[in-house]
Amino acid sequence: MAKRRIKKLLIANRGEIALRIIRTARMMGIKTVAVYSEADARSTHAAAADEARLIGPPEASKSYLNIDAIIAAARETDADAIHPGYGFLSERAEFAQAAADAGIIFVGPRADVMAKLGDKVAARAIAAAANVPVVPGLETIEPAAARDFAARSGFPVLVKAAAGGGGRGMRVVESLEGLDGALEAASREALAAFGDGRVFLEKYLARPRHIEVQFLGDEHGNVIAMGERECSIQRRHQKIIEESPAPGLAEATRAAMIDSALRLARAAGYTNAGTAEFLVQDDHFYFLEVNARLQVEHPVTEIRFGCDLVAEQLKIAMGERLAPVAAPRGCAIEGRVYAEDAANGFRPATGTVLDLRIPAGPGVRFDTHLAAGAEIGAFYDGLLGKLICWGADRDQARRRMLAAFDEFAVLGVTNTAGFLRDIVASEPFARADLSTRFVEEFFAEPARVEQPEMDAALIAAALAAQAAPSAAKAEANGRRAAAIRSPWAELGAFELWRRR
Amino acid sequence: MKLREAGRAGEREVEILAHQGTQLRVRIDGREVSAQVEPLAAGGAVLSIDGRRFHIAGARRKDTILVAVGPRTFDFVRVEEGARHGFHGLTTPQITAPMPGKVLRVLVEPGDAVGAGQPLVVLEAMKMETTLAAESDAIVKRVAVEAGQMVDHGAVLIELSPANPSPSAPESGSPES
Repeated sequence: MAKRRIKKLLIANRGEIALRIIRTARMMGIKTVAVYSEADARSTHAAAADEARLIGPPEASKSYLNIDAIIAAARETDADAIHPGYGFLSERAEFAQAAADAGIIFVGPRADVMAKLGDKVAARAIAAAANVPVVPGLETIEPAAARDFAARSGFPVLVKAAAGGGGRGMRVVESLEGLDGALEAASREALAAFGDGRVFLEKYLARPRHIEVQFLGDEHGNVIAMGERECSIQRRHQKIIEESPAPGLAEATRAAMIDSALRLARAAGYTNAGTAEFLVQDDHFYFLEVNARLQVEHPVTEIRFGCDLVAEQLKIAMGERLAPVAAPRGCAIEGRVYAEDAANGFRPATGTVLDLRIPAGPGVRFDTHLAAGAEIGAFYDGLLGKLICWGADRDQARRRMLAAFDEFAVLGVTNTAGFLRDIVASEPFARADLSTRFVEEFFAEPARVEQPEMDAALIAAALAAQAAPSAAKAEANGRRAAAIRSPWAELGAFELWRRR
Repeated sequence: MKLREAGRAGEREVEILAHQGTQLRVRIDGREVSAQVEPLAAGGAVLSIDGRRFHIAGARRKDTILVAVGPRTFDFVRVEEGARHGFHGLTTPQITAPMPGKVLRVLVEPGDAVGAGQPLVVLEAMKMETTLAAESDAIVKRVAVEAGQMVDHGAVLIELSPANPSPSAPESGSPES
């Protein structure tokens, strides 16, 4: 295919990933258009782009999932390409097709390839044809067929949405009694999340690792792999810590997985960036699915390979040939900080960012859209930021991560940073005793907060309770008097708080 | 001041006894503790305690006090003095929505006796189902919502009354202060 230039890129996403894509586009001399919902009117991603367009109300279905509104925004701003980021419309073939129909370059695989791979059932068929091992499974919503499958492959059985990804609508069924209810609930959640209620069952592996292969394909038939990422540490079947390389993975298994991913990508006629996910148990690996988009955890690969995957995506979309891959160096680990309460079943949290400290230092990268004053609402995914640390080896990366977490703080939104620090500091993580059951095995109960730390928390609470009334008085009496009365009232968080 | 960590049982008591310059003396659950607090220009403070230093920050919203100690966040609820008498050990008399969302299912009816940990309401928010459960044994006094209804953060979903009200302690006995 002929080379073509992208002059202006619309980013059909929000949050940290929109900001991250804008940064690369700017570096490449490409103008950017942000789209935003009413809830994101004052967000950092809208501010960072060269232009910003309001596309609808806060509900994702009316804004970031609204294909017509996004294509219209691209047309009105003369954007010649769209980057979908991850989540939202990134794996919706009709979106890729709508862009193509409007004469706009879609930064991702072709719509027909995406449609094939995005459907777990069709993807398994392609994998099987390319000699890539798969976990035994069946697509059905018929209770009788499901019972028959479970009887043949044995419990536990995993019930999940046939469309979409990200662990939504996924359930592990331990015995026959729970099967009908799980089918129904999974179908209902799948319908709500993806508009597609089809359900897929598969044999559930007892203690597998989740390892994935990053690959890139260009329009000239070249496909390359950029190593693997270990993503075993998950909660609610969603990744929270990822690293590369996968520690202790047998070299033969690694090579066979990468070979499988490349065969699969070639068989599918894949272009742009994609990820083949595998479950690995006892040196056997099984293909799970292809994520036909950029992954949340892509920085782990970027850091280790010294590359910019968004830049690679844009170059591929402009018809360029893939360059040879540089040799990977050292180890990279990522931790995802979510607005959730780890001590209460990872219940989503909301709030206003009152105080924010972002870590820095050698080998430390923090990708975030957070800013002091930002509102974290309930409309979108609660990812607050990603801490990525590089080290010459795993232990150095791990130690850098601990130091970086100690520099991190968000006041105002309950989040998982402390929980992630506990994991990274733990003995099972240090010895890489990894499986997708890691959190339930080692952190079923949140780690106990040590007494000095708990004391510090209680003291901070007492100071906050004391400062608030005098802060209110400060409004009436003038700040000086209040500052003398209560040293705590001088603290920045309350300056912010008072202004609201 | 009595505090409870949101979503958890068990109370903590903390009292500031003296605060002179950066020196702080507090009583935590009857134990006397000294610490040093140094406010920072960027916000928050550095707290030195037991030979360790923590970056702390705090803010208050109604009865909730939000705290950050290093990367860890704490969500405290102020427990009113005497309020517990009225509820006979009930951890929370009201089940409220922890975030805006849709009520998917209501699993109890008024008059039902429920045990600690028993699911009461299923909410859908952030594309996920969240089950809200009773924190202690109780009787369902009132169901304030129905399935399908959209609710705001903090909306009362269910009101509970004590499982075994003792006749000697009247329920209206909690002082308004």
